[in-house]
Amino acid sequence: MAMLQLENMDCGYGAFHAVHDLSLTIQQGEIFALLGPNGAGKSSTIMSIAGHVQLMSGAIRFDGTDISSLSARERVRLGIAVAPEGRRLFPDLTIEENLTVGGYSLPKGRETINKEIVFTLFPRLTERLKQPASTLSGGEQQMLAMGRAMMAEPRLLMIDEVSLGLMPKMVDVCYHAINHLKSQGVTILLVEQNTKRALEVADQVCVLESGQSVWQGTATEARKAPDLIEAFLGMTKEAS
Amino acid sequence: MLYVELLAQGLVQGSIYALVAVGLTLVYGLLRILHVAHAGLFTLGGYVGVLVTNATGSLLLALLVAMVTVGIVGMAIYRLCYQPILDKPPYVALIASIGLFIAMEEVYRLVFGPYGISFENPPLQDVVQMFGVTLRLGEVATAAGTLLLVGALAVFSGKTRFGTAWRATVTDPDMAESFGIDIIKVRYLNFFIGSAFAASAGVMVALLNNMVEPTMGSVPSYKALAIIVLGGLGDVRGTLLAALALGVIEAFGTIYLGKFLDRDAIAFAFLILVLMVRPQGLFGRA
Repeated sequence: MAMLQLENMDCGYGAFHAVHDLSLTIQQGEIFALLGPNGAGKSSTIMSIAGHVQLMSGAIRFDGTDISSLSARERVRLGIAVAPEGRRLFPDLTIEENLTVGGYSLPKGRETINKEIVFTLFPRLTERLKQPASTLSGGEQQMLAMGRAMMAEPRLLMIDEVSLGLMPKMVDVCYHAINHLKSQGVTILLVEQNTKRALEVADQVCVLESGQSVWQGTATEARKAPDLIEAFLGMTKEAS
Repeated sequence: MLYVELLAQGLVQGSIYALVAVGLTLVYGLLRILHVAHAGLFTLGGYVGVLVTNATGSLLLALLVAMVTVGIVGMAIYRLCYQPILDKPPYVALIASIGLFIAMEEVYRLVFGPYGISFENPPLQDVVQMFGVTLRLGEVATAAGTLLLVGALAVFSGKTRFGTAWRATVTDPDMAESFGIDIIKVRYLNFFIGSAFAASAGVMVALLNNMVEPTMGSVPSYKALAIIVLGGLGDVRGTLLAALALGVIEAFGTIYLGKFLDRDAIAFAFLILVLMVRPQGLFGRA
């Protein structure tokens, strides 16, 4: 069943169109990877689904209903959560408080249970619960950003720049969590600079360039046609 | 003993600055608006405090009534004056705020008269000896009241779920909204608390001077601006410390520099001096 459908979506900031005429469908329970060079409109797409980038035309359907007129607050209640570009943690709040805010859309009783789930996936966060988020390393920040989003019990989890700036070991931890979430039935939309890594986990792929979709297909197809993907992305060896 | 005396006087004065400036820094932190009309709420607090005390004989009741009424007026100012112009450039809100402040002073003049009003039976005028310093009960109450209010604010913002949501909203409103926080509710609360604090300061000043007048907010209005800049705009803890520091510096300055510099000029000399060395404020991060 289609969980999220973008129909001829145009979005951007003021007069600037970041994404033009984008259509894509994300099925329930799959991992959908959004690939493309810097400035292609990947983050704008995610933030537009979350409700922070202005939709100029087209529609965003979630479970078949157009949600484009809903506020960000209403969207998280439907089950859409985001671990955004640059993490955007609350720097002065402690690790624990960041998680509390993550679960703010749910009754307080869910908080303790969900924190346990986050700590099981990211045990490292438990070591520094009372420290401000600004003191975390890059990898820990990504864990917390993902954990904070998980606190909202999302049905659609959007993760931007999964592995950007992380040590390989941390990337493994994050992808382990992504696989775990998938096994729990969570649908995942991820933006990833590391194409190889993304193609390993993804079911579906969309390549964006200059705000437009230039290729869409299954990850299996994408893996079989490395030349094609490489042509779009300039895939390099360092992305390993 | 003079030093201790001056320190105590400075801290009492600083407490009042702190109560006014906290609201200003809260509004700045959340909306990036310099809420000049905030000082008008301080004055209103003073009036309500004196009127209710005279009517009921209870200063404590008057303080509570002043805080709640002025808190509600503060929320109304947000709703009617600021919310409609939030998407305009910041100077629009600043001009609106200055206009509102002038209008408020004129309304007080029209409603309560130009000469000010006083307590019929001024409360807490007795003198006490503490740590070898002679203080009026009103001054002790001011310091203690400030400590209590600031303490309550710290507990609320630090220990409750809504307080956490509030602090999150101040640092990143979009992300806060993305996790289900009602940022409009946060703004109302922000204005309520900030305005109630200013009202409490108004009541305390009324008590210490036994006088409220339409223009009593003028000096606090610009001094509070100086304080929040010193404290690092939007930083509550920095603002509190800067307010106390300024109170003490003024107390000493009036004695030692009083010949060349007026009390209010000392505040700004201090502001300029600090900003030359630390443009981000006394406690701000670079």
